[in-house]
Amino acid sequence: MAPVEVRDLSKRFGSVLAVNNLSFDIEAGRVTGFLGPNGAGKSTTLRALLGLVRPTAGTATFGGLRYEELDRPSTKVGAVLEDASFHPGRTARNHLRVLAATGEHPFERVDTVLADVGLAEAANRRVGGYSMGMRQRLGIAAALLGDPEILILDEPTNGLDPPGIVWMRDLVRAQAARGRAVLISSHLLAEVAQSVDDVVVVSRGELRGHGTLQSVLGGDEGLVTAVRAQDNERLTRALEAAGHRVQPFRDGLLVPGVSPEEVGVVAGDAGVYLVALAPQTRSLEQAFLALTGEGTML
Amino acid sequence: MTPLLRAELLKLRTTRTFVAVVGVTLALSLLVVVLTALLSDEFSARDARDLFSADFTGLFIMLLGVIGMAGEWRHRTITGTILAAPDRLRLMAAKMLAYAAAGVVLSLIVTVMIMLVGTIILSSRDFETAAFSDLIDVLWRNLLVAALVGALGVGIGALVRNQVVAIIGVLILGFVIEPALFGLAPDVAKYGPTAGAPAGIQDIDFFGGDGETDALSPGVATLVMLGWIALFFAAAGVRLRSRDLV
Repeated sequence: MAPVEVRDLSKRFGSVLAVNNLSFDIEAGRVTGFLGPNGAGKSTTLRALLGLVRPTAGTATFGGLRYEELDRPSTKVGAVLEDASFHPGRTARNHLRVLAATGEHPFERVDTVLADVGLAEAANRRVGGYSMGMRQRLGIAAALLGDPEILILDEPTNGLDPPGIVWMRDLVRAQAARGRAVLISSHLLAEVAQSVDDVVVVSRGELRGHGTLQSVLGGDEGLVTAVRAQDNERLTRALEAAGHRVQPFRDGLLVPGVSPEEVGVVAGDAGVYLVALAPQTRSLEQAFLALTGEGTML
Repeated sequence: MTPLLRAELLKLRTTRTFVAVVGVTLALSLLVVVLTALLSDEFSARDARDLFSADFTGLFIMLLGVIGMAGEWRHRTITGTILAAPDRLRLMAAKMLAYAAAGVVLSLIVTVMIMLVGTIILSSRDFETAAFSDLIDVLWRNLLVAALVGALGVGIGALVRNQVVAIIGVLILGFVIEPALFGLAPDVAKYGPTAGAPAGIQDIDFFGGDGETDALSPGVATLVMLGWIALFFAAAGVRLRSRDLV
């Protein structure tokens, strides 16, 4: 049984379907990037996992158990959500001592995790005076308090400076190296691409891809042709009949691994008029944008 | 429940709110007792007993509970709190117990201080003072009321959620609605959560005139307060459990 299993998860808020029939697993010892543009349903999915929102349909479980069914949940799951807030009048040390008392962790863990996230010096300062980056580190310290088997980080690089982003990358890799399952959500692929093994890509609440980073987004796989035809559907059928893989991309198509000349020949043979045709070297980012239907081309 | 209770008590101790409320309550209660003891022309032992019962402590303890619970939404810490303690009803129960305990501590400090200062002033003016047994009687009644209103404050805060609205609501209830009811409908007022039922527990003669108290008996008044707490716990519990935290 995978540490995290999401099965047919849907969540509707009034007329808005925030998550639509989403299914994926994440594995122990791996960092999984949960990627998608803003509003894709990432945070809602994470909150459903953590028992903060009730799914309209489907399940989101940890080893088969819902979050609220876990015994001492902070030893199983550590989570940092995007809007993590703290009482401004409480010091970081006291904030963590409260959580340690709730989770029945020894108070010595508080100083250990404060040192781990680089806040030992500021431990006795009130959180109201913390920078956004320091608050982010404090949130991570709270998540690490129970030395959990699963770490869930929602947009963890928000507010971090470049050294902080590198620190975060090292932290999640170190957690995975210890056999922990790490799920890290982001709308910025570039910030997590160097630290993830697997990706789950969502857009408009739906799953767009799930697997290793390479298998889903491909990375730099050589030449990619961007093309727009008067009839994109006919061109798609023609290219697929010729054995080429085609991805829709806003008002046109992306054809990986095929030169513009070859695309032009297929279009000509099929009698499809082309409006635009250009070679592109596809980056991870472009693949991500293509998968999520974001961005423009040509 | 014990870890949750420990955590809630730790939360109380680690912000300045509790210390500030203790300070303000003590200062106001002392002011009332000192002025009353200094300015009254005559004072019976019964007056002295009532003086140590009818202070602001209950209302401030209720506000402390309101602030403690509604503050979870105000500071947006409710998500982290529920992540740490996913059983929302147990969380609310632990918070109620913690604020009941905080109420007892606050009331103990205030009651002992006003008894000490008031008795010294009354003695120096050669007025009759309350017997020690009466002081003990007042003390346990005050502590019981403090525990009950502390828990009720948490229930109100959990149901209303908006800290400012909840505080204003409690103040209007305590200073406008219940006092008005004492004059207009005393049979209804004696069941009120901020003054009526607490007066029954504290044996305060709010309805006098002929000297005979019309308040609820301490036992019934305690049950009424427990009923108020159960009502707010149930209503807030339903709301807390059914709501998504987005």
